[in-house]
Amino acid sequence: MLRIALKGVLARKTRLFLTSIAVVLGTAFLSGTYIFSDTLTTTFDQLFADIYKNTDGYVRSTQVIDGGFGQEERQRIPISTVDLVRKIPGVSGAAGNIQAFARIIGKDGQPLGEDGFGPPTFGASISDYKGELWTISQGALPTKPTEFAMDDVNAKKAKFAIGDSVKVVAAGGSRTFTLVGIARHGQARSPGGATFALFDITTASEFLVKAGFIDAVLLQSDGTVSDEALAAKITAILPPTLDIETLTGAQITKEVQSDVGEGLSFFSTLLSVFSFIALGVGCFVIYNVFSITAAQRQRENALFRAIGASKRQITQAMLVEAIAVGIVGSIVGLFSGVLLAQGLSAVLRVTGVSLPPGSLIFAQRTIVTVLTVGMIVTVASAILPALRAGKVPPLAAMRSTALDTPGSITRRVLIASAFAISGFGILLAVILGADNVLLGLAILLVFIAILIAGPAVARPVSLFIGRPAARLRGITGAMARQNAARNPKRTSRTAAPVLIGVALVMAVTVLASTIRAEISDAFGKQFTGDFSITADSNFFGGFSPSLADDINALPGVQRASGLGVSVAKISISGKDKGKLVTVIDPLTVEGIFDIGLIDTPVTSLTKDGVFVSQKAALKNSLVRGSTVAVTLSDGSLHNLEVQGIYVRDQLAGNYTVSRQLFDETTVSRFDTAIFILKKDGVQDSDIRTSLNAAIKKYGTGELLSKSEYIKKQAAQVNQLLGLIYGLLFLSVIIAIVGIIITLLLSVHERQREIGLLRAVGMTKSQVRTTVRWESVITSLFGALMGILLGLGLGWIVIFSLRDQGIKRFTVPTTGTLVILVLSFIVGVIAAAYPAHRATKVDLLDALAMT
Amino acid sequence: MVNSPLINTTVAAATSHAVKSYGSGDGTIFALNDVTVEFVSGQFTAIMGPSGSGKSTLMHCIAGLDQLTSGSALIDGVDLSTLSDKELTLMRRERVGFIFQAFNLVPTLSAEENIRLPLLLGNKTGDTEWIKKVIDTVGLTNRLSHRPSELSGGQQQRVAVARALATQPRIIFADEPTGNVDSTTGTEILTFMRRAVDELGQTIVMVTHDPVSAAFADRIIFLADGKIVDEMLEPTAVKVLDRMKSLGT
Repeated sequence: MLRIALKGVLARKTRLFLTSIAVVLGTAFLSGTYIFSDTLTTTFDQLFADIYKNTDGYVRSTQVIDGGFGQEERQRIPISTVDLVRKIPGVSGAAGNIQAFARIIGKDGQPLGEDGFGPPTFGASISDYKGELWTISQGALPTKPTEFAMDDVNAKKAKFAIGDSVKVVAAGGSRTFTLVGIARHGQARSPGGATFALFDITTASEFLVKAGFIDAVLLQSDGTVSDEALAAKITAILPPTLDIETLTGAQITKEVQSDVGEGLSFFSTLLSVFSFIALGVGCFVIYNVFSITAAQRQRENALFRAIGASKRQITQAMLVEAIAVGIVGSIVGLFSGVLLAQGLSAVLRVTGVSLPPGSLIFAQRTIVTVLTVGMIVTVASAILPALRAGKVPPLAAMRSTALDTPGSITRRVLIASAFAISGFGILLAVILGADNVLLGLAILLVFIAILIAGPAVARPVSLFIGRPAARLRGITGAMARQNAARNPKRTSRTAAPVLIGVALVMAVTVLASTIRAEISDAFGKQFTGDFSITADSNFFGGFSPSLADDINALPGVQRASGLGVSVAKISISGKDKGKLVTVIDPLTVEGIFDIGLIDTPVTSLTKDGVFVSQKAALKNSLVRGSTVAVTLSDGSLHNLEVQGIYVRDQLAGNYTVSRQLFDETTVSRFDTAIFILKKDGVQDSDIRTSLNAAIKKYGTGELLSKSEYIKKQAAQVNQLLGLIYGLLFLSVIIAIVGIIITLLLSVHERQREIGLLRAVGMTKSQVRTTVRWESVITSLFGALMGILLGLGLGWIVIFSLRDQGIKRFTVPTTGTLVILVLSFIVGVIAAAYPAHRATKVDLLDALAMT
Repeated sequence: MVNSPLINTTVAAATSHAVKSYGSGDGTIFALNDVTVEFVSGQFTAIMGPSGSGKSTLMHCIAGLDQLTSGSALIDGVDLSTLSDKELTLMRRERVGFIFQAFNLVPTLSAEENIRLPLLLGNKTGDTEWIKKVIDTVGLTNRLSHRPSELSGGQQQRVAVARALATQPRIIFADEPTGNVDSTTGTEILTFMRRAVDELGQTIVMVTHDPVSAAFADRIIFLADGKIVDEMLEPTAVKVLDRMKSLGT
């Protein structure tokens, strides 16, 4: 039987090929994800190993505040530490090191680097120290307060030449420097697309952070003691009041590598999640193809049964075919992954993240996982059809046509209802107060219910969707409609991948439009000014606080107020917690940014005070007059008095402090946005001109009206949305392939019918129309079910976020329409090849078949 | 050339020196070897011959389902080789009717839709009176909304006959129309076909290997090895059997 099965597989190469495609697509994405993330990790590991290869020790502060969202701020150390380190025996050389926000302004007046989620823009220190992280590759080292160097890649990109005057924006404001050198970071011309402006240590300290302070000390050993011993010695010798620690070169390398690795692992986890979604969708395609071919081979199998094959042998034969498909598909998928990984790198390159060159890493784990997963998925998807194939009665050999039978609809509906009811029951329980975690189970149960109910509803729903086709296209439309409805199991299985894809897209769309609405609402209520200037730098860097002061001085401006965030450690009842605190200027903020203070004027906030959100106040039993201990990122401790409670915490978060708090600290502080209230009677265009001139002086920032600003804030969601849509695209492709395969098999199965229709006068174009509409109806069926499921899913997710302040539920009308139109197009695209094949059906062959 | 005994002598379909061959050189196989024949309007012709004699090929080529290697096939005076695929399709739809041995009907359409199928494909209503008459004649009036799977084999063939008649085609081709039904039903169907010729003035060409079926025709053409070897007018089953014996088939 094994030989017969294998012969059967080889005899039907087309079918083998079609089934394999589904496996290939699923495994290719998985393989591509692995190869890509391995390559990325290895590349960055090598990059950092290279950068720190001349560093034997690294001295830094032990004080660090984690503000969440990957916002970690380490306290700075005095610049004098460098000299202390240099004098320690065993140290052959040392230099201060700084890396902070800076943005270089291009020749066209536009800042270099991308807005939003692009690579960061840095300012850093450079010196003639032997172990320096940066090396000058062209020109000279910057040594004066008016000189700077920059990274090779971005200098070329911006077409800067040595001797150019270049404007740079940093914590110290906006200044013009002379470009004296071009530098490389280790072997890399520029790390990961980030821009770098490089200064001598004194200038860097004063311009990038706070005069007299640096991030760390880099040092080299004279080789007389081990790095570990030297590090211990340094820590012991330096005064304990400095609060420093010393890492060896190997330790700092490892730490940076693992930090980057963490960032990358988020990315690769995201990719894996979507590749598993794609695989899941692929399962349905594989399952469907095996079901159809099993049905089409019913007579052949019945013949085997009649001449003495056992049920088990029939089932085994099918499984052998599945294994063959699994092996072929997974191997092809494994290697297609290489192409996909290259594609991903290319996409990153286009978006501005240039990766250091390196060959793709094809790890053993990739090979093992992809082949195993591919095989398991294929065989698991084939088990049910194989078992069903074994059940074929020998008598079926005598029957002329055998399609897969619809089975009992009542039973199906009953089982589906049971799943649905338990799903909704759990949902109700959660609404009544049960744990949110149960929502996942509810979603799963409802999803299974829909899959089980699919065949039961496929017929009526297809007939309903097909109604316009029948009306519009006459008999061809009517036949397409009947074809879509004639085999409800097949239709619903074919539509399942579409359903899953659409449901996910829909849920994400619902979530996004809800969040957008929340954002617009929050900003609309709280931002009461006329204009805003935004830095668009995602918590990193921004405007020097002096920009707000400059704008305040402009004629036509009633008031302008800068707003920023800073990392701080909040200590309440003995517990420390890293937080992002909002920084406002209480003297100017009134009437511009309204956080909804209860019975307190915003101007009452002093440098020793803090405003707390109502939520945080309730949770921590804080009232006006309570004390909150706040440690800023420079390590300074401040006991702040609660001077007010506010209700609108969507933008301000839980803690809001005055910008004056930072005046006597070494924290480099930025405003991320400046809000402006114009004087009455001033023309918008006039004030725009003067504001733009002020921004120009600083180089960065975008001037937006209130409505533009709100729109832009809401649109930030779109970037993430775009990424998710992009990743779901693969599932859509698999869904299309699924429809193509099913249609091809259906066309093959209906050859006689097509031959007959052609004989009695159906033109080729009518044949195509029929196939196309069947495809469209199937696709729309999936989309419709998917939209319903997606709406439910979206609602559940939003419901689970009710504690995060998201309370509304917005149905995206445009999104829904777009999905329907796209599903229509998917149907048309998927039908193209099967429709073509249908016209190629040989009339006489078809009619000769009995 | 065979002369028709009937008064109405319009030619509905014809072939002239029709050749259908496969392969080339010494290995050439001739399915049709220089066949010249005419089918006159209002006549019921049967084509007989052993398996492989070319009778089905002849029918397929005249009906526009297959192409001749050389020679010509005409329907209503139109040379089929001059038509494009689309024109040929429209020719079949409008001027030719078909009855096949089995699988005559589209399973997703009702009996009535199947009957009107060629008209529906052309987006035409057709002659309502005529269609009503056809449906009455084949006795399907109360079966119209049924699907083919809900009809008996005989009823399905009657639907096929009705479909072939629905467009009032110039000629109807039937390929072993009773090959898949029992003899009683077969007789019933042949009787309908006979009535279609006699009462409705239709033209039918039927391929068969059954002498009893052939006896329903006005004229029988005998084919062997791709050639017309004999012809018989006003046949009876006994005469046909005798002739077949003498032809050694």
